[in-house]
Amino acid sequence: MDLHFMRLGISSLMCVGIALAVARADDAPRATEPDVPAAEAPMPVAGTVSFRRDIAPMLVEKCQACHGADKAESSYRVDTFARLKTAGDNELAPFTAGDHDDSELLRLIASGDEDERMPKDGEPLSAEQIALVKKWIEEGAAFDGGDEAATLASILPRLPHPMPPEAYKHPTPVTALAFAPGGNELFAAGYNEITVWNPADGSLVRRIKDIAQRTHAIAFSPDGSLLAVAAGTPGRLGEVVLLNPADGSLVRALGKAADEIFDAQFSPDGKQLATAGADRTIRIYDVESGNELRVIENHADWVMAVAWSPDGSKIASASRDKTAKAFEAATGNLISTHSGHGEPVYGVAFKADGEQVYSAGRDNKIRAWKVADGGNAGEIGGFGEEVYKLVNRDGHLFACSADKSVRQFRDNDRGAVRKFDGQTDWVYSVAAHPATKRVASGGYDGQIVVWNLEDGKPVATFLAAPNYTAAAVK
Amino acid sequence: MRIRHSRNSYSPWLFASGLLLAAATLVCGAARAAESEAADKPVALEPIAGGEPQRIDVFPTEFKLQTPRRRMHLLVTGHYADGQQQDLTRAAEFVSSDDKVVAVENGAAVPKGDGKAEIIIRIGSHEQRVAVEVSGQAAADPVSFHFEALTALTKQGCNSGACHGSPSGKGGFRLSLAAYDAVLDQRTLVREDYNRRTNVADPDASLLLAKPMMQVAHGGGKRLAKDDAAYVALRQWIAEGCRVDPDDAPQCVKIEVFPKAGRVLKRPAHTQQLLVLGHFSDGSVRDVTDLSTFTTSDAAVATPRPDGLVVGLDRGEAAIVVRHLEKVETCYLTFVKDIEGFAWTNPPQFNYVDKLVDAKLEQLKYVPSELCTDDEFLRRAYLDVIGILPTIEETRAFLADTSADKRKKLVDTLLERPEYGKYWALKWGDLLRLNNKSVTSDGVFKYYEWIVRAFESNMPYDKFASELLLAQGSTFANPPANYYRATADTNDCTETTAQVFLGVRMQCAKCHNHPFERWTQDNYYGLGAFFNRVQRKPTARKDELVVWIARGGEVTQPRTGKQMKPWLPLVGDAEDVGDDDRRTQLVDWLMRPDNPFFAKVEANRLWSQLMGRGIVEPIDDFRDSNPPANALLLDALAEDFISHGYDRKHVLRTILNSRTYQASAATTPLNKDDVKYASHARVRLLAAEPLLDAICHVTAVPENFPNMPPGTRATQLPSPDVNNDFLKVFGQPERQTACACERSNESNLSQALQLFNGPLIHAKLQNKENRFHKLAAAGKTNEEIVRELYVAALCREPNENELSASTAHIDGKEDRGKALEDVCWAILNTNEFLFQH
Repeated sequence: MDLHFMRLGISSLMCVGIALAVARADDAPRATEPDVPAAEAPMPVAGTVSFRRDIAPMLVEKCQACHGADKAESSYRVDTFARLKTAGDNELAPFTAGDHDDSELLRLIASGDEDERMPKDGEPLSAEQIALVKKWIEEGAAFDGGDEAATLASILPRLPHPMPPEAYKHPTPVTALAFAPGGNELFAAGYNEITVWNPADGSLVRRIKDIAQRTHAIAFSPDGSLLAVAAGTPGRLGEVVLLNPADGSLVRALGKAADEIFDAQFSPDGKQLATAGADRTIRIYDVESGNELRVIENHADWVMAVAWSPDGSKIASASRDKTAKAFEAATGNLISTHSGHGEPVYGVAFKADGEQVYSAGRDNKIRAWKVADGGNAGEIGGFGEEVYKLVNRDGHLFACSADKSVRQFRDNDRGAVRKFDGQTDWVYSVAAHPATKRVASGGYDGQIVVWNLEDGKPVATFLAAPNYTAAAVK
Repeated sequence: MRIRHSRNSYSPWLFASGLLLAAATLVCGAARAAESEAADKPVALEPIAGGEPQRIDVFPTEFKLQTPRRRMHLLVTGHYADGQQQDLTRAAEFVSSDDKVVAVENGAAVPKGDGKAEIIIRIGSHEQRVAVEVSGQAAADPVSFHFEALTALTKQGCNSGACHGSPSGKGGFRLSLAAYDAVLDQRTLVREDYNRRTNVADPDASLLLAKPMMQVAHGGGKRLAKDDAAYVALRQWIAEGCRVDPDDAPQCVKIEVFPKAGRVLKRPAHTQQLLVLGHFSDGSVRDVTDLSTFTTSDAAVATPRPDGLVVGLDRGEAAIVVRHLEKVETCYLTFVKDIEGFAWTNPPQFNYVDKLVDAKLEQLKYVPSELCTDDEFLRRAYLDVIGILPTIEETRAFLADTSADKRKKLVDTLLERPEYGKYWALKWGDLLRLNNKSVTSDGVFKYYEWIVRAFESNMPYDKFASELLLAQGSTFANPPANYYRATADTNDCTETTAQVFLGVRMQCAKCHNHPFERWTQDNYYGLGAFFNRVQRKPTARKDELVVWIARGGEVTQPRTGKQMKPWLPLVGDAEDVGDDDRRTQLVDWLMRPDNPFFAKVEANRLWSQLMGRGIVEPIDDFRDSNPPANALLLDALAEDFISHGYDRKHVLRTILNSRTYQASAATTPLNKDDVKYASHARVRLLAAEPLLDAICHVTAVPENFPNMPPGTRATQLPSPDVNNDFLKVFGQPERQTACACERSNESNLSQALQLFNGPLIHAKLQNKENRFHKLAAAGKTNEEIVRELYVAALCREPNENELSASTAHIDGKEDRGKALEDVCWAILNTNEFLFQH
């Protein structure tokens, strides 16, 4: 009742508005004609509201968690533009181009009644944000994001990320590591940056900035010309970018998501990049064009890791849904599911023959299973804690674990080769460079240890925290 | 469907009871819905009532603030001329004598600099001073992970069973229920999913804060605000590096809740601020109110706010359970109000039961109902004591008896009847799980006979319990050994013994600390250590089992991997008795006169069998958050029980002879709202077995049970393995658990159908050998037959209306037999017959 009165109240202040609205309602064909037809919408210029730049970030941040793919309160979703304009249970038009009186979305975010105001239970949007929505509707509610069916998170403009701390007060967990193709540089996850180190002595070589808060994967293209980075800000953003490894400049932004992206791996021929993320998808991009080629939505929870088979025909994945899976890379069709872990699965790698997959997870085991049917092929135990990333390089499988160790196994018979000690906390990441006989690992406490593969002795142990000065605790 | 015509012409009792049952269920459901709705509404806070107190007092009277983050709330109480007390905390003015030492912010003393000062508290013309000593302000004061960060998560409800505390968590984020597993929680909050939830570099960006504050959308909605103590604790814990507490960090050893004594608050002064003090192992006493959790035993009586202000909503008593990590304390508050038209009537008091019941009734302003009539008493006492209805001759003799003490004499007679032992063995058969599966069919008979004899001989309850708990040897030669056959493993023994003899439901603590109570997982396995050496092995004889005690063996707590010592509730670890039978220690402790559980649990059970509701209800769920409706009464009954050598008949006799027991079931406007305090008799549906026996009695057609001698009553069945649909429909338990709740007292549609046109009643009505067909055949008049039926079923003669309506119905029908069946059917379907009243 109250709503009704309020709406009338507003409208009566704008008699013209009412007249227009009535006329439109009576005259159906005109109702679809916005003041500025979408097709002819000019490119956003100063003073004009851009959906992609001004509206979409707000929707993703403030609305999507309750009106998205996971949860669609009142059957209304805002995770794509197509859905944004489709009414939910109340069957009221979310917005009508040029007519902010017939725009339920605007009414609800601007409502003075706390019981109905959106976001429900959250801080109200700022007056500026509400004004932007109103202006955007008045200007014709144009969509400047390309595909209306694409997720809003994926069309958000890329904004510069915050600067990393000049001097670290707290080491950041090293959640990703990669050797440069020549083995002379070690790339590590920092806080809003990637730090590059000399693996021989642990000296800082350079810092690559403008990276999302947490980096979960760093991968070099086979020819070494590109660096793929999967990163994100927990609960807020996920991003996959291709960088020039030499200077860290952005070559191409591939994908964006509403939450973290955990892995990115180049296909063996370097033409495609597969990613895995908290949106439960595996995505395959064309490296050259940046186009998204395929989305594999098969897991029921976050996808934590992906791997390509040596011939590039298959993809394997590890998921928090307690399964590991294998797919045909060309079609995205599911080949098999392995449920042996019974716990979240964090790491995945193909056996060199491409017939088996290794996966590892919270059950403190690496399990080998057959691509053909997901059946057990063997297991590797001995870990005292959960196992994270797996790297299979030149006949050897490397694994890192919360038991503070890195272990090396033979790919052909799963035999243990060596256990690398020296880490002082959980080991989240591992990278190997057999040509220079090095393996490196990164820990929760920010420590990187580089070992000699031949004798297992540490070569360098250092904190991946530039200019670190311990924070004083009061 | 059978006749309908007579319904309206009978007394108000005469209704299609099945429909009434269904209706009653609906009404109950609606009432419950309304109740929960009321609980969800925000608590209305009225201003302090005012009035001029004679004096005020302040608690604490002095205190120390030893670190920069300590706070202290002060409680201010006004004492009035009429003896009332009022919480004046919200109305008081607080002033510091030295702002450089201590300031008062939001009602709490906040340290500002080392030194000594006073807080001056004023209410009108009254003034009190509290000395404050502030120290340690220059030292570091890191947040404790255990006692601040985890309690903050509990306080905000993050780790509740409905949210992230559920076994699988929510949204991929799982916490231990009420923070029972700090190690797991630390790991989850800090390490899991690559350090996703906490951000040491930028604490405010931590998902752990951003989600419950709805800065990042949160399925659970907004749960945290910047001015919450929980926010401050969590944020600082993150900023300090998400550290675990050092091994030598002070531990909270106990909490105390103030005000202490059970305070009586009278409307409109019906609010009370609580203060929670934590005693730490370093000797410090800290105000932990802000990070304690408050819950109420009765949301209709009083509701606590998160800040510890309890707001009374109706008259009655509420236990406010205060939790700080695994430390749990309870504050009992009584709320009273003036009731229009209330005047105490000084009803007669037959014994101490009435005295204690009346004290509570007078305080809460309920007036008890009058005494019930003789016929009501007769029927009630027979059903309660021996489970069957009196014969027509017994009824007529009792009603004709004019002696003043005839009720007393009847009680004495009933307690000595042979049916007494069998009926109470039925009740204990439920608790001890007498069924073929648990103790084998041969075992059932031997075990049953032992229980019957125990009651017949009035075996003292302590002996009864110790024979069960210390049983050894053959389950055939020594039937109580079946206790350990029915409880097939250590956990089952632990849970059954706790529930039956301590009145405590320990099951929750098997997997985690009890979410609402003081019982911890350590307690569960500590209690289990009394039983883990009990061994069972079969013998050559079929179905025989021998129970014996092994000379070693320990219990391991599955979460911590620690070996548990035998543990006694409220006492602690028991002494090491080496290879001796540890159960003896438990039994010795149970039978100590100061044992707070043993005698009370049985006294409460006896009370509930007679009164239809325990003083503690449910009867096997004694806990701080479920206080007795009348604690003094339960204490007195238990004391009387102990001082009379655990004589159960003595307690039964005392209750049966009280005015309280003999009160009418009819309510008055001044007690109709009372369900807890025994102001009137409680109307309840007969249990399955007495109901079936009563139907057999009225029709004089016995029920036949397989493998039982003809004439065996339902109330005298050793086990429920007789596959009788009627009994099952009316709630006969299968006896799979030791929980009294397994016997259902819910009404349902199947019961209505059984009563309307079920095969059992139908067959008994049509049986030509039944009471009324035989009377008709013997040439009795319709009036004589109707009178017999009324006396048999209801223990009273029919009134004029009932008699004339019944005889008119029979006279108007061609088939006299069918018409008689109609009348008997109608009587069996009256509430007066189906209900205990």
